[in-house]
Parts: sequence; structure tokens; C-alpha cells
Amino acid sequence: MKKKAITPLIAAVLLVIFVLLLFTFQVPQSQVVVVSTFLKPTDTITNAGLYVKWPWPVQSLTRFDQRVQISEDKFSETYLADHSILLANLFVGWRISDGRQFMNVFKNGSTASAQQQLEQILRSAKLAVFAHYGLSDFVNSDATQLKFNEVEKDIQASVDKELAQNNYGIRIEFLGIKQIGLPDSVTKTVFGRMKAERTILINTAQYGGEADAAKIRAAAERQAADVLANAQADATRIEGEGQAEAAKTLAVFQQNPDLAVFQLELAALKSSMNKNTTLFFDETKPPFDIFRKLPASPETK
Amino acid sequence: MSDHEHHDHPLAPETRDAGSQALSEALRSSFIIVQIAMATLIVVIILSGVFTVGPQEKAVILRFGKPLGEGQKMLLGAGLHWSYPQPIDEIIRIPITEIQKVTSTAGWYQTTPEQELAGTEPPAGPSLDPRTDHYVITADRNIIHTRAFISYRIDDPLTAIFNFASGTNQQFNLAGISNAVQNAANNALVATAARFNVDDILTGKVEEFQEAVAQYVRELAASEHLGVVIEQCQVQSLPPRYLKDDFAAVTAARVNRDKLISDARSDQNHILSQAGATASSITNLAESARVRYVTAIQSDAAAFTNLLSRYESNPQLYMRLELTEALAGALTNVQDKFFLPQRADGKARELRLMLNREPPQPGSAANP
Repeated sequence: MKKKAITPLIAAVLLVIFVLLLFTFQVPQSQVVVVSTFLKPTDTITNAGLYVKWPWPVQSLTRFDQRVQISEDKFSETYLADHSILLANLFVGWRISDGRQFMNVFKNGSTASAQQQLEQILRSAKLAVFAHYGLSDFVNSDATQLKFNEVEKDIQASVDKELAQNNYGIRIEFLGIKQIGLPDSVTKTVFGRMKAERTILINTAQYGGEADAAKIRAAAERQAADVLANAQADATRIEGEGQAEAAKTLAVFQQNPDLAVFQLELAALKSSMNKNTTLFFDETKPPFDIFRKLPASPETK
Repeated sequence: MSDHEHHDHPLAPETRDAGSQALSEALRSSFIIVQIAMATLIVVIILSGVFTVGPQEKAVILRFGKPLGEGQKMLLGAGLHWSYPQPIDEIIRIPITEIQKVTSTAGWYQTTPEQELAGTEPPAGPSLDPRTDHYVITADRNIIHTRAFISYRIDDPLTAIFNFASGTNQQFNLAGISNAVQNAANNALVATAARFNVDDILTGKVEEFQEAVAQYVRELAASEHLGVVIEQCQVQSLPPRYLKDDFAAVTAARVNRDKLISDARSDQNHILSQAGATASSITNLAESARVRYVTAIQSDAAAFTNLLSRYESNPQLYMRLELTEALAGALTNVQDKFFLPQRADGKARELRLMLNREPPQPGSAANP
């Protein structure tokens, strides 16, 4: 009984597997699948999962990568509104938005063909849009004058329009300027100008430094003179205050000016007589007048 | 029927029994083998779902093409894991570390890894071929080389891994998102350099430029829905190789200028501090002179008051005494004293002074 049950079970399992393989298919996360019934596209599946289909030749599947592909156009010359020449290339993130349409437009759904087509569209959009902007819109010290984002938006709008008009089944996710440059010959001229600017900067730094240093020193000298003048003024004021304060005491000396004068002269005499003083005197000045008061010697008499 | 068989083949029952038994044995053996084979197959099928994830990679299980889990839980880290066998589950292995790195290409000259390692540069020419020597144009319309080293982290694995293709193959890896981040860095460098002057990028506002580039890359990563978080953005900028010496000369001149100014400021400090010290000295001297003067006057006044009564009692005597005392003190100190008695004829005596005489040598023969 057991033996009899297992054999059909195995057969049933194998049959189920065969049927599943025949009638189901998977759509991975990254793919979009176009289901064709008798070679005519009838359905597009974009969500990952397990799906049912009729076996070949009734229904067949075409798979596309629905992830964002990044492409870029050639680094090529473009003419600007101010007649400048700028080299630029763009990068673009795009994806297949409509698998059926994509399959119809590009032979065998070739991504490489789509990229070529997209590069052509990018190039013509770039040429058209850049022609409306000047060099100062791309490089400018004043950030408000820059129109980098506007240029990118204009190009994307132009590309979107072209893709929609021709119904390529492609959608642009993002677009940007990858690189800008100048023609080879222009870089030589720019180098010449940059070299001249460097020379000016060297001279400016050299002479400017000397001038600035001289200014700093002169200002310092001036400021120091001011400080000293102010100090002298303060000193004069302080002396004046001292004299004013002393003047209050002078009334005391008014009691006897002769004594006051005598005291001052005496003090002056004391302070002026020092070791190096040479003093000449005679007998008429006190205390040497004492010699005149001596009694005469007997011989003198 | 059975009799007929019995009569025709007298040994048939025994033979049949033996044959049946042998067949039965053979079938039993075969069945056991099939059972063992099936059991082994089931075990193999179960074990085939076991897989390991290495330390430098992550794995995602796609069940019927759909990733299992959400967000960071979708990524299986290093270790042992299990999944259903194909075609139910599919294991996607992604070489991924915590921090991914990418370097911009748009603004840098062509170089090789060997030159990078050796720190050497390709020879400079008087112009730049834009196909090989990439650069950016600054706001003041100069040319410099610049590049950004971006470190980023996968924030949304579903987007970063399954939303960006790497070329035309169907593989899952980080090449697609790496390419997208690199283009964002290129775009950010070109757009940011366009509003900075060359000297700001190279010397004056290096940090500001780097932060502006980082901010631009972050904004692009958000607006382009890259599913990554920009962790770090370091920018390296260089003048064109052809003008390297000219830029170095400017730097040297600026360093020299700064030194001149620094020296001048040092002198300024010295002059001002000296002036301040002198000024303080002047005012302090004046202050002390004032105090001394006032004190002296006050003490003189006090002395005057004390002496007044003595003076008024006999002015002549007082003056004589004071003068004599003062002269006595002076005469004690004075080195040369000459007494000149009056001439007998009463005429004035004539004195002749020799000025600028040699100072007397102490202890000499002439002046013992």
C-alpha cells in the first residue's frame, strides 16, 4: 500500500513542477517584462513576483532592465549666446518606462540603440539650450547670476519633450552637466592671462606688504606720540593741582614774609653747598666776621 | 488452469516461489534504494539552501524575484543563512562594506595609479587637452584641477542596489550607484567651482569650497533619489601644472607680505607698550612730584609756624644763629675753602679762576 502511494506521489510532484515551469514565470525586482500573445505585445509587468502565462508558442516573454541607466554624451564644443565656445558634456539617468513601446521603437529592445539615440537627443538639446546662455551664466562670482540649474532644467525639458513626442518608452530620471571646458587653444591664452595675474599678485603682495607695514609703524608712532602728549598734559595738570593744593598753605607764610623768605634762602643755601663747592669768604661775612672781633695782638698794637 | 500448469511443470511452484521471492527481494532492495535516494535528495535540497555571506559582502534573497525584507533588514550580513532552493529563491551577493568610496573624474588631469602612489605628475604643457586633462573653470574664468573624494553609506538598499544598472548586464552590484554618485560629485564640482574664485578655492576659502561641494552632492543625492547618505566629502585642488611655479611664487610673496606685516605689528606693539610705559612714568613722576611738593610746602608751613614765635622774639638773633649753623654745616662738607682777608687799602681783591682745571688725583705727589 505504501509502495503504491509513493510512486504516484512522485509522479504528481514532477507533474506539478513541470506545469509550474511551463505556466509560470518570475519577474525580478530590476526587470520589466513584456508579455506577447502570438507575438503581439499584450501586457507589461513591472512589479517583481511570480506570474502565470500560457506556454510558448501562445505567449512569450521579453525582458528589459528597468533600472536607471547612466549615459553621457560626447565632450563637445557648443556656442554660447555671447559667441564664446564652451566644451561640455552631460550625464543622464534614464530608464525604460514603457517596455512595449521601447520594444517597438528599438530593434529587439536594444539598450545600446536606445543609448545612441539618447546621446543624439542630448547633443542637440545641449546645443540648442547653450546657445541661449552666455559664459557669465556658467561661471560667475555672484552666485545669484549663475544659471547652471536653469541650463540643466532647460536641457531636460527639451529632452523630455523629444522623448514624449517620439514615444520612445524612455523616461529621464535626472540630468546634469558633468564637465565644462575650453578649447585647447583657449587654455593657452587663459594660462597667459593667469600668469600675468600671478605677476600682479606677487607685486601687490610685495609692495603692498611693505606699504602696509610702513603704515602700521607710522600709525604706531603717531599713537605713541599722542599717548606721550596726553601723559605730559596729565603731568602738567597734576603739577597744577599740586600747586593749587600748596597755595592753600601759602597763607601761613603771610604771617611773616621775612621769615618765610629767610627760611627759603637758608634751605637753598644748604642744598647748594656740597662737597665740590669752592667757597671764598672774607672776614666781613658771618661767621667769619668773628676774625674782626678778635682783640689785636701786642705786635699789632 | 492451475492444474495444467502443475502437470506441465512439476517443479514450477517451487521455481515460481523462488522467482517471486527473488523478484520481491529485488523490488524491496530497489525500493529501499529509491527511498534512500529520495531521502538523500530531500536532505540535499534542504542543505542546498544553506549559504554563507562573507565579511566584505551582503546578500539579498529574492523570492520569486522580489527582495525579502525591507530597508536595512533586506541585507543579510556575514554568517550562515538559509533560503529555499531555486527557482523559488535566488541569492544576490553584493560586495559591500559599511562605507563606500568614490572619486570624481571631471576636474582632474589624467594620471595613473603608479603616478598617484609615487606622488608624481605627468609633464605639464602650455595648454590643456580637454579630452585627457580635465579641469574646472572658476568664477574668475581661471582654470584649476580639483577632485572630490566621496564617502557614502547605503541608506536605502532597495533603491541603491536594484534601481541603478551597471552597464548593460543584468548583474546586481554597486557599480551603478557608484557611477551615479560619481556623476553627482562631478556635477557638484563643476557647478560649485563656477562661483568661487581661483584663490578662494586654492587658499582663501578652502573649507568653504569643500563644504559647498559636499552640500551640492548631498542635494543631488537627495533629488536624484540615490538612496545613499554622503558621509564625507574631501576636496583636493591644484593649480595647473604649467603654472605651478607662478602660484608658488604668489604664495611665497604673500607669506613674505604677512611676515612684513607681522613684524610691523610686533614693532607697533613694542612702540605702543614703550609709549605707554613712558606715559605712565611721566604721570607717576608728576604725581609723586605733586605729593612731594605739597608735602614739602606743608612741612615748611608747619616748621614756619613752629619757628615764628622764636623769630618774632628776636629776628636778628634768630637769623644769625640759623645762618651760622647752616654755614657751619656747609663748611664741613665743602672741599675747597679760601679765606680772603680784605685788602688793607680797602679795595676789592681780584680773583682769577682757572676753569676746566685737571681734577686733582688723590694720593698723587702734587696732591698728597
